Amino acid sequence: MPKRGKLEIIKDILNIIQENHNSIRSTPLLRKSGLSSKSFYEYFQELLKKGLINTMQDSHDNKKVILTAKGKEYLEKYKTIVGFIDEFEL
Amino acid sequence: MMKGKNILSVLGLEIIYSFVIIVCSMMIYFGTKQLYELTSHKGIKYFRLGFLFFAIAYFFRSFIKFILFYFNVTKILDLSTNFIGTASLFLFMYFSSIAIFYLLYSVIWKKFKNEPVSLFFIHAAGFVIALVSILFRSPTVYLILNLVLFFSVSIIFYFAHKNHKKKKKGSGLYTTYLLLLVFWILNILDILVPSALQQFQLFIYLASIGVFLTLLYKVLKRVGGI
Repeated sequence: MPKRGKLEIIKDILNIIQENHNSIRSTPLLRKSGLSSKSFYEYFQELLKKGLINTMQDSHDNKKVILTAKGKEYLEKYKTIVGFIDEFEL
Repeated sequence: MMKGKNILSVLGLEIIYSFVIIVCSMMIYFGTKQLYELTSHKGIKYFRLGFLFFAIAYFFRSFIKFILFYFNVTKILDLSTNFIGTASLFLFMYFSSIAIFYLLYSVIWKKFKNEPVSLFFIHAAGFVIALVSILFRSPTVYLILNLVLFFSVSIIFYFAHKNHKKKKKGSGLYTTYLLLLVFWILNILDILVPSALQQFQLFIYLASIGVFLTLLYKVLKRVGGI
């Protein structure tokens, strides 16, 4: 399996959240992402900082990760982003 | 009266030409804003900044043309004792150089680990080129400077393109960038040594517009603007 690039990893993390009805705890998200704990934490912090994801407490007081509007936009635009980077060899 | 009319038509052509290029550059800059905001991708950042600097450089280019008409001289070098003339030439050369360097850096940034140092060198090179342009008032120096700039940048572009993993066949990106470089250098020479290219001026303008429109089309097609 080829090594995933940064943009692809971000897309995969956001996809996992979306496929879980836009609400998932961080432990299963880490497991499904296929990343090491250290890498996952770094990506998690970056996505929070960029405003692509957010955290919230559900009714059982569990901390859940959700997609923001910007995160959904990233998923919608992913093909365009990759196509643009390839086209201009950036 | 005829002379005044001629000046107005030439100035009008200059304004239209600069306006088209500046609009194309700014459309590329703002058209890619969303992609950059979503990804913070450094390649996209330098690509966008390259076109922003092109727009600024073209602004100063048309400003230089304007002051040439205003002071009724043909060469910017005749205004070397004039502060506005010298400052405009310096800013034009500085922004035009870093525009090319940023565009080049957008395709090779992954090879450089230390981003602040790379950017420092880009701005330092732009500063030196601009300084040489105002200190050495010789067309030969300009010609050598531009030839060195052209060959070094096109060779780096070529190898970056050749080694690119996901190279798209038939995209014509290298050719487009090469043409951009050729016509950009002709634009610089047109400002520094106007008599050398006077007969080809309209051709240079039309070809430059063609290159920028091609790039704008490629960008808009990719970002979904077309």
